[in-house]
Amino acid sequence: MRPILAIAKATVGEAIRRRVLLIILFIATILLFIAPLLGVLSQRQEQTVLTGFVLGIVQLSSAVIAITLTVYMLPNEVERRTIYTILSKPVQRYQFLLGKYLGAVAALGLMMGLMSCVTLVEFGIMQNNWGKGIELLQGIGMFFIQMSLLASVAMCLSTFIAPLVNFFLTGGIYLIGTLGYAFFDSFSRNPNASTYSKWLAWFVSTVLPNFASYNVQNKLINPETVITNPIQYAVNAVIYGVVYITIMLIAGMLIFDRKEV
Amino acid sequence: MVDVVSQLDLHVEEGEIFGFLGPNGAGKTTTIKMLLSIIEPTEGEAYVLGKELGDFDVHKLISYVPERPYYYEYMTGMEILKFYGSLFGITDTARMEMLLEKVNLHRDKTKTISQFSKGMQQRIGLAQALINDPKLLFLDEPTGGLDPIAHREIRDLILGFREEGRTVFISSHELSEVELICDRVAIINHGVIARQGKLTELLKGGRVELSVTGVNRGVFEDMKIADSNVHDIAGGVLFDVPEEADINGVIE
Repeated sequence: MRPILAIAKATVGEAIRRRVLLIILFIATILLFIAPLLGVLSQRQEQTVLTGFVLGIVQLSSAVIAITLTVYMLPNEVERRTIYTILSKPVQRYQFLLGKYLGAVAALGLMMGLMSCVTLVEFGIMQNNWGKGIELLQGIGMFFIQMSLLASVAMCLSTFIAPLVNFFLTGGIYLIGTLGYAFFDSFSRNPNASTYSKWLAWFVSTVLPNFASYNVQNKLINPETVITNPIQYAVNAVIYGVVYITIMLIAGMLIFDRKEV
Repeated sequence: MVDVVSQLDLHVEEGEIFGFLGPNGAGKTTTIKMLLSIIEPTEGEAYVLGKELGDFDVHKLISYVPERPYYYEYMTGMEILKFYGSLFGITDTARMEMLLEKVNLHRDKTKTISQFSKGMQQRIGLAQALINDPKLLFLDEPTGGLDPIAHREIRDLILGFREEGRTVFISSHELSEVELICDRVAIINHGVIARQGKLTELLKGGRVELSVTGVNRGVFEDMKIADSNVHDIAGGVLFDVPEEADINGVIE
């Protein structure tokens, strides 16, 4: 456990100093601050527009940060030869990969934590609606699980795919897993579809990570959409995320263990 | 599939500085990576500190400094040592201070790696390599790209390792470097060990070449000198004999 934590700590230190990530974070923070001004552009309730906009900014910027952070992580270590000094110590490859992943998730948590603070200030102080602010934090919490899942996919792919290809592939998986999941899921249960199409849709919806279940915007923007048991819903989503992350990391470790670095 | 190295047969004595000499791309780094169990050889066997390759416990007793090492740039020299120490569970800051002093970086311990010169980076690399008090050090091109002063500083540190009883395995493509510090060397080229032994003996070569014009090669072949070779050259022959042979007799 000791080497894993040491590698995770070093990874956080490096990640929070990466300029590209800081720029994304800076832009996201600026957008969060100017978000209230955009409410006037919509016919809908200002608060509703603001909620959607804020969550959209947090989700998009977190996704870009999660992907950018993880796709270069292992290749950079190999390119700079840092990995050799570490692996020549009593550190197993799986410990290295796990340490890098936990470090990435911790750095992601810090960055999302900052965006959460901005969101809370925005709704609590500027909009004088602390209740909404706290409710949004729950939504950002779900996004954190979603981004941890996304980071595990990128990390697993980075063990055998070049960074640039991985960037687009992980981005594509995220888009399909977010927007297309419901489509494939309902298609697999459509009685009018052919057996082959249903099987294919079932396969895609089973293998692809279900990012859609962490998208709580709709419930927040449209309060009439009621989740009967929110705690059970959140617990299920977290369990799904942890299981999927574990599978991704184990797959990554197995590939990385055999990879020539 | 290409054989990066093939039929390697090396033996390093305890407490010596062993030079692994060869041109770029000869297979030096690959060999070190195999000995560190970072990559697996397709066949053969090797022992590091008497333990078979892949024995994880060996990693507690060895260290490695790669060619042109990179360390996390935001860390200071002290933080680098703390990081590498934490991989062993070492938290002894007094030892880390001592190591910084040993590599002459104690005055720069608050500087980040990004502020370090190449020579300083190499020295912090040696300090991190000593954190676990290793018995065996692998140094890949330790003086590559350094200025003459840094060159000398690193060389003195390496010589100090031998005095401390450590075994040092150095890969280098610079004969002059190896010549100054190594007890024994192996020369590798295209993945194959060409020669191995004490450098003085290898440099001596052990053979004499006579270039002769106006003489038929049959003259030398008739001498029947053991381990000799005759080659045709422009206008004559090249006669290659062991240096122990009676050279004067041949000339006469």
